[in-house]
Amino acid sequence: MTMERELLTNVAKTPATLRYPAEKTPPVEGMRARVTWRIEECIGCRLCAQACPAEAIAVGGTRAAAEITYRLDRCLFCGECVDVCPTRAIETTTEYELAFTTPDEMIITFTRAKTRTTREATGSNETGVPQPDRDA
Amino acid sequence: MVPEEMMPILSVLVFPGLGFLFTLALVSEWVDRKIVARLQNRVGPLHTGPGGILQPLADLLKLLSKEDIVPAAADPVMFATIPILTLALAVTPLFLIPIASPSALVGFEGDLVFILFVMTLIALTLFLGAWASTNRFSTLGGLRVALQMLGYEIPLTLAFIGPAIAANSLSVSQIVHAQAGGLGYLVTQPLGFAVLVVCLLAELHMVPFDVPEAETEIVAGWLVEFSGKKLALLRLAKDFELVLAAALMTALYLGGPTGPGTLPPVVYFVVKLLPCVLILSNLRALFARFRIDQVLQGAWKYLTPLAILQVVFIELAPVVIP
Amino acid sequence: MAFTPIPVGPQHPALDLESVNFTFHVDGEKVVAVRPRLGYMHRGIEKLAEGRTYHQNLYLVERVCGICSQAHTICYAQAVEELLEVEVPDRALYIRTIMAELERIQNHYLWLGVTAHQMGFETLFMYTWRDREIVLKMVEEVTGKRVNYDINYLGGVRRDLTPEAIHEMRKGLDQLAERTKYYTRVCKNERTVLKRTVDVGRLSPKDAEALCAVGPTLRASGVKRDIRADDPYAAYEETPFTVITYEGCDVASRLWVRCDEIQESIRIIRHALDTLPGGEISVRVPRAVPAGEAISRVEAPRGENLHYVRADGSENPARLKIRAPTLANLLPLCTMFVDMNIADIPLIIAGIDPCIACAERMTFIDPRKTAQWSWSSEELRRRSVQWYRKR
Repeated sequence: MTMERELLTNVAKTPATLRYPAEKTPPVEGMRARVTWRIEECIGCRLCAQACPAEAIAVGGTRAAAEITYRLDRCLFCGECVDVCPTRAIETTTEYELAFTTPDEMIITFTRAKTRTTREATGSNETGVPQPDRDA
Repeated sequence: MVPEEMMPILSVLVFPGLGFLFTLALVSEWVDRKIVARLQNRVGPLHTGPGGILQPLADLLKLLSKEDIVPAAADPVMFATIPILTLALAVTPLFLIPIASPSALVGFEGDLVFILFVMTLIALTLFLGAWASTNRFSTLGGLRVALQMLGYEIPLTLAFIGPAIAANSLSVSQIVHAQAGGLGYLVTQPLGFAVLVVCLLAELHMVPFDVPEAETEIVAGWLVEFSGKKLALLRLAKDFELVLAAALMTALYLGGPTGPGTLPPVVYFVVKLLPCVLILSNLRALFARFRIDQVLQGAWKYLTPLAILQVVFIELAPVVIP
Repeated sequence: MAFTPIPVGPQHPALDLESVNFTFHVDGEKVVAVRPRLGYMHRGIEKLAEGRTYHQNLYLVERVCGICSQAHTICYAQAVEELLEVEVPDRALYIRTIMAELERIQNHYLWLGVTAHQMGFETLFMYTWRDREIVLKMVEEVTGKRVNYDINYLGGVRRDLTPEAIHEMRKGLDQLAERTKYYTRVCKNERTVLKRTVDVGRLSPKDAEALCAVGPTLRASGVKRDIRADDPYAAYEETPFTVITYEGCDVASRLWVRCDEIQESIRIIRHALDTLPGGEISVRVPRAVPAGEAISRVEAPRGENLHYVRADGSENPARLKIRAPTLANLLPLCTMFVDMNIADIPLIIAGIDPCIACAERMTFIDPRKTAQWSWSSEELRRRSVQWYRKR
C-alpha cells in the first residue's frame, strides 16, 4: 500500500502524456537532427563523404557542378560532416520527424540546377531543401 | 404500446438484460482503463468517441475481424467451444443479480450457491481452454488458474455466506431486500467486504493475482493461443466478469438497486457499481504481482481465517448483542 | 522423468531488452537446468571497426548499446588516447565524468521501470520512465541528442557545458534526488515488491567472485569492487564517492544497490559541477596511431567494460575487442536460476541488467592449435544454411 498516496495525487495532476501531434516537445537549440546543404557554397571537396562514418554522403562532380546525394536512412546524425566542411555549406537542422513511407524518399539530392528527391520534388522551400509530401 | 407478453423477452434481451449488460460491460472496461491510466499519470483511451469511451467496442470489433489461428495439435471442437462457453457462463449469473428492481429477473432460493457454482465452472473452463491449446505456456497458465482457484474458492464462499446469514436467505434478491432502507452490510461486515474484494481480484485475474495471465513470465498464460473471434469473445467475457464482480459487491454488501429517494432503481445500481469498479482498478494499479505459491500461502494463511472469523462473528452477534 | 523444456526467447516479454535464448528445464514450477544461447544480436562490430578510422570508430563503438553508449565511447577513447600518449584536458575529463554519471542515472531509471514491469508493477514502470525524461532532457540540452550522445572525441569532448545547461542540470538533479528517494522508499517498503525480490536469484559472494560477476550484480553480493574506485579514470580520482554494497545476494539487494547508486551519481555530478575547471575541451590528435596495444576499463552502468585496441601505425585499428559487462554476468546468471520458480525467471534475468547487444562478440579460438581466426559474413551464411539443412 506504499504507493497509494502517490497514486491518488496523480489523478489530480495533468497526465504526463503529450497529445502528439497536437502537442509536441519543442526541439532544444543545438539539437542534432538531419543535416542540410547550402549547395551554392559547396566546392565538391568530398571531405564530408570521407568523414561520414556511415557512408551516407556521396559527392559527384566538382566545384560548380557538385552534386550531393544524402541518404537519410544511413545518417547517424553525428554532425561530422558539419564540422569538417571547409565552406560551412552543411548545417544541422532540428527536423526530427523523419518517417517516410518509401525508401526513395529518404535519398535526397542537392544540385545547383535544381534540388530533387529521386522522385520529383513536390515543392521546395527557400533553402532549396525538398520537403516530402507529408499530407499524401 | 408493447404487448404484455413481449415484456419478459424484452427484459432479457434489452433491459436490464443482454443489451444493457453489454453496454455496461464495455463502459466498465473503459472506466477501469481510464482510472488505471490516470493513477499512472497517463491518459488512457482518448480518441475513439468522446474521451475514448468507444475504445472497448473498437477493440472488440477489431479482434472480431482478425485472423483466427487454431494450433495444429489442438482439439478443434473444444478449442472453438471454450470461448463461447466462457462468455455464456460469465453472462448467466448477471441475470440473478437485481439491477432494475430490488428483485432480479430470475430469482430462486439458493441462487447465491448457483452463482458460486457458475464462477467455479468459469475457472474450470479456463483450465480446459488452456489444456486444449496444447502450448507449454498455456498449460502452465492453466495449472495456475486451477491452483489459484483452490486458493480463493473457500474465502469467496465464506464472503458470500456472511450476508446470507445476516439476511437469513440464500437468494440474492432476498439479501438485497433485507438491506433496503439501511446502509447495507458494508457497515456491519467490513471484514467480509475486504475478503470479498481480494477474492474477486483473484477471480478476475487482476494484479496482484494475475498469475495465470502473467505477461512477462508465460506470455499470455492460458489464453496465449486464442486469436481473432475467439479472443474477442474471451475479452468480452472478461468484461462481463468485471461487471459481475462489481455487481456482486453492490448487491451483497451495498444494498443493490435501493436507495433514498424515488429515482429509478437502475440509477442507484449504477451509482453503486462505479465505486466498486474504482476500488478494483485502484488495487490493480497499486501492487506488483505475486507468485502462485505466495498466492496460495496468503489465501490459506490469511484470507480463509479472516473470512471464518467474519462468519463466526455474524453468527454470534445476534446472540451476544441483543 | 523428463523435464519440460521451456524456451524463453528470442522473442519473449521477459526479455524486454534484447533477443537471447534460454532453454529452461522445469519440473512443475521449479527450474532444474538452464541452457543459454547467444548470437541473435551479433552485428559484426569488431570487424566493422577494422575498416574505419579511429575517429569514425567513435561513432561505431557508441552504437554497441543504446543505453550504455557513453561507457563504450569513453573506454575506447581512453584506449586510443593511451596509444597516442595524449593528455586529455581536465575540463574534458570532468565533462566526460558528468555525462557518464548522467548515463548511469538514466540507465538505472530505465532498469527500475523494466524490473517493475517484470514484476507486474505497471505503475512503478510508468512513473520511473516518466521521471527518466528529466535526465534525457538534461542530456539533450548538452549534447543535442537523447541516446547515443556522440559527445566524445579522441583527445577530449565535443561540446562544452554552457552556464544555462549547468543551471538546468542542477534543477533537474534536485528533482531527481527527490524522486529517487521516493522510489528507494517504495522498493524497500512495498510488501509485494519485497515478496517478489527477497531471496530470489541467490548468488553467494564465493560464486560471484569465482564466476567473474561484475557491477551491481557483484556489489549486491557484498563484494566491494568498482572500477571507478579501484582503477580511477576520467575525473573520478578527484571526486569522492562511496562504493555501494549490500549483503543480501538476491534480486532485492541488486534493486537497492542501483537505487543508492543513483543517489551517489547525483552527488558525483553535483561535485563535478561545483569544481569544474576551466580550459579547453579537447586537443588535436594525429590521424595515424603508432603501433601498440592498449586495454582500458570503465565502470559502465552494468559493470566493468573492457576494450582492447591494437594499432599497427595506420589510420585504422588492427583489432578492437570489446568485453561488455553482461557477458561476464551471464555465467553467474545461469547459477542463479537453480531451484527457483518459473515466475522468478524474468526478475532474475532483469536483476543482472542484461544488455545482450553489448555481449555479442564472436572470435574463434582453437586451444589445441593456439590459432585465432574469424569468419567472413559469406562463410557464416554458408555455415548457417548448412546447419539448418542438417537439422
